[in-house]
Amino acid sequence: MSNVQQFQYDNKIVRAFGMASFIFGVVGMLVGLIIALQLIYPSLNLGPYLTFGRLRPLHTNAVIFAFVGNGIFMGVYYSLQRLLKARMWSDTLSWIHFWGWQIIIACAAVTLPMGFTTSGEYSELIWPLDILITLIWVVFGVNMFGTILTRRENHLYVAIWFYIATWVTVAVLHIVRSLELPVTWTLSYPVFSGVQEALVQWWYGHNAVAFFLTTPYLGMMYYFLPKAANRPVYSYKLSIIHFWALIFIYIWAGPHHLLYSSMPDWVQSLGTVFSIMLIAPSWGGMLNGLLTLRGAWDRVRQDPVLKFMVVAVTAYGMATFEGPMLSIKTVNAISHFTDWTIAHVHVGALGWNGFLTFGALYWLWPRMYRTQLYSTNLANTHFWLGTLGIVIYAVPLYWAGWTQALMWKEFTPEGTLAWGNFLDTVTQIMPMYMMRAVGGTLFFVSVLIGVYNLFKTAQQGTFLANEPAEAPAREKLLAPATGQYWHRWIEGRPMQMLLWSTVLIAIGGIVQIIPMVFIENQVPKISTVQPYTPLELTGRDIYIKEGCVGCHSQMIRPFRSETERYGEYSKSGEYIYDRPFLWGSKRTGPDLMREGGRYPDSWHYNHMIDPTSMSPGSIMPAYPHLAEQPLDLSDLPAKITALRKLGTPYPRDFEKYAVGNAQEQAQKVARNLAAEGVKDKGIENTEMVAIIAYLQRLGTDIKAQPQADK
Amino acid sequence: MKSKQLLLLAVLLAVPLMGWGQATQSAATTTQKGLPDIMSLLLFIAGALLFIVAMVYVVKVNQFLYKRVVSLEAQKSGVALTDEAAEAVAVQGDDFWTRMRRKYWEDAVPIEREGEITMHHAYDGIRELDNRLPPWWVNMFILTIVWSVGYMWYYHWGGNGPSQAEEYEKSMEKAKKERAIALAGRADAVDESNVTVLTDASALGEGELIYKNVCAACHGQQGEGTVGPNFTDEYWIHGGGIKNIFRVIKYGVPEKGMISWQSQLKPADMQKVASYILTMQGTNPPNPKAPQGEIWKEETEQKAVE
Repeated sequence: MSNVQQFQYDNKIVRAFGMASFIFGVVGMLVGLIIALQLIYPSLNLGPYLTFGRLRPLHTNAVIFAFVGNGIFMGVYYSLQRLLKARMWSDTLSWIHFWGWQIIIACAAVTLPMGFTTSGEYSELIWPLDILITLIWVVFGVNMFGTILTRRENHLYVAIWFYIATWVTVAVLHIVRSLELPVTWTLSYPVFSGVQEALVQWWYGHNAVAFFLTTPYLGMMYYFLPKAANRPVYSYKLSIIHFWALIFIYIWAGPHHLLYSSMPDWVQSLGTVFSIMLIAPSWGGMLNGLLTLRGAWDRVRQDPVLKFMVVAVTAYGMATFEGPMLSIKTVNAISHFTDWTIAHVHVGALGWNGFLTFGALYWLWPRMYRTQLYSTNLANTHFWLGTLGIVIYAVPLYWAGWTQALMWKEFTPEGTLAWGNFLDTVTQIMPMYMMRAVGGTLFFVSVLIGVYNLFKTAQQGTFLANEPAEAPAREKLLAPATGQYWHRWIEGRPMQMLLWSTVLIAIGGIVQIIPMVFIENQVPKISTVQPYTPLELTGRDIYIKEGCVGCHSQMIRPFRSETERYGEYSKSGEYIYDRPFLWGSKRTGPDLMREGGRYPDSWHYNHMIDPTSMSPGSIMPAYPHLAEQPLDLSDLPAKITALRKLGTPYPRDFEKYAVGNAQEQAQKVARNLAAEGVKDKGIENTEMVAIIAYLQRLGTDIKAQPQADK
Repeated sequence: MKSKQLLLLAVLLAVPLMGWGQATQSAATTTQKGLPDIMSLLLFIAGALLFIVAMVYVVKVNQFLYKRVVSLEAQKSGVALTDEAAEAVAVQGDDFWTRMRRKYWEDAVPIEREGEITMHHAYDGIRELDNRLPPWWVNMFILTIVWSVGYMWYYHWGGNGPSQAEEYEKSMEKAKKERAIALAGRADAVDESNVTVLTDASALGEGELIYKNVCAACHGQQGEGTVGPNFTDEYWIHGGGIKNIFRVIKYGVPEKGMISWQSQLKPADMQKVASYILTMQGTNPPNPKAPQGEIWKEETEQKAVE
């Protein structure tokens, strides 16, 4: 112990991320509550900026990237320093990371309500923000690896394995998902189209859950839970096996979001089996957490921190068992597109992420402020109210999901749909939606109590910005003593850890994505499928801007109950010009895959102005502004050029005629409307005609020659 | 034996799960009795797999007991033991059930003795124990892997599992047959060739209800016509009279926005609503839509029918 060094841990950055986490948590959950109420009271949709379609991605992004994201950085910056006995490598990078991330969040809070979105779930942000995210993520990585390489501890603890895997996987996912061709500052088209893009999206989307909501939080669990319980981790072997198995298997499971879609069967099957094989590795984390509490269960009854952690880990175990069950095709046939999925993700988000974040916050705040928690009673109130909130949120939504799915699938003995009117299946579950809003409110209130408690704790203490510590310098790693675990070798070599994590997480993606992109016969061509006309393309971009995909799928699954309701089931070849793909993942409204020609133009006009005029009782927001906002065709030539570059076969020089072509079609739609009795002067110059043109095109291409390409 | 009980439990759990799957499946396809083909095959495969695993267990347990007997014998006669045999003897103190539990279910070192398995390192004060992987967890992992291989084999590598397109075709064929059976000999099995006008009040009342629910959005609450044509004048675009109206409701006129209702309305319901629509003629509601199509006279229809 000759070479003892003095240094200080940086608590200020931890506090900053912690505060950002709960502030954005409050904001994100408030937006969630608003959109839950919008489903019950459609008049709460304040168009054009604050409609459900635009707020839903704001809610998901705020909770995932702002609340949980800042929570991750709080946990990593606190535990990493102490597990490595070193201050963060660079304070400058720490603060660039912090402010960079908050700027991204602020930009997202503006751009999403503005309607600037790529429409991919959890990857909605526009391309300039994608670049900013990449840069900030690199800053985080450099700072983390800088700290790891200048550490005073020889070996890396399991929490850090998870942090490393998180960092590299999120980087890979984000970059591949963001491969897109910019058209304007706010618009880009993805490099992949249709089925391929859907696969890349859900490889990304699923693993955002895996490597943003799960692995970093497992790392945090491995630090904060044994610390709070003051008990040794149950099994080192279990840590090793479940870590490597988890990161290898998780990456394959993405296609379970696309079961019974137009994705080739083999991809779907891989999604199913890897999800099933994921149960044990996921539960490995839960077991190691819960079994670590052996001998500390009496304290769980008293210590709010442990209470939060126990429920968090249990919610993790439930969600990671339910997930694989939902990946079985028979179950997925029922759950998909319903509120069952929404209930499932909220058990994970509110239970696992929400409660672990607050468990860690309650543990950190008194320590960093060198005081006691302001009120254990308030913390207990927070805990019970939150737990109750989760239950009252989730149970009605499970019920809603089952009810609606069974109604969708019910036939009369005569062979007609028992609930032919989609709206009947929506009004049926409105009471459940109300219950859900009550549960959400309880959880929201509990979080406010938590924030108040933390605020008062901070007020009564004095903040320790730089925590003094000492440790001997790291000695050169010797050859491992015989009899040591083989795994100790890699624990002393962070770059090997990074390398092998990268290799393992790359395999699943490569096996699934490469054949889909490069082997042509994976997507059988349909000769009658043509690119969108310029006006339809404009309408499509409006559809994306308004977030219609949040409630309307464009994917008819091969079930009798769906083909009877919506028409011929979807074929992969129909989507080849779809950039981005708009399959959707939730049907709050009916599927629109074959909407084209189903109703006259004037029906759509009236329905957009006031949905209840055409469908009494509809909960869809009204879009009267579409009939007022001028039709902006100025970007059309650039859009056509960009799409041609990506492979859409528009004729040569078509961009020069695109605007004229669009205006011509707009006149045609306007004439149709006039003939059907819609007296709205100048309608041909508004967004309304574009969205109608797009909706009337949907799914009609194969009808031109229905038997030819089966 | 815990592990066997677990297996039994798994089988017992699997059956209702399958039954449930079948129930929902049948909600989707038919009300047919018995398991659909795919479900029974799945059940068979799941059962076969569980059986194989159970057999492997039995063999393993036997091997363990055999080794134990052999090594006890060897110990008595003073023969040196192999490591494996020594292990089998070492658990001598425990009874049979405890040994089985340790080997196949859970094997945590008691808290009082955890000093023996504490690793020689700590990170920021966090120590780690070196407990065995929970055996049931390992077994579950193996089971899911075996299941996955079986699944891939059945659907892709050799088994004859149907593709989702084939599943769909089958379900449609079955539905067609069942529909024919359900409609055979039914009084209300009307179609456009034999449909007649209903005049009794209850049928017209039901027709009105259906009209208000599904038709009024496009044709107006009183049939005055909005998006769709006016029903109260004498003009018809696709021909008037019960048969033509029934036909248009049933098949729709997709190119003009009238959708087909045959998957949503029963033939009898289409007859009722068509009859109700005929009662609207000449009612003169406010804001009528301008006439479209040709004047249709009942005599013309009668002539056509004759």
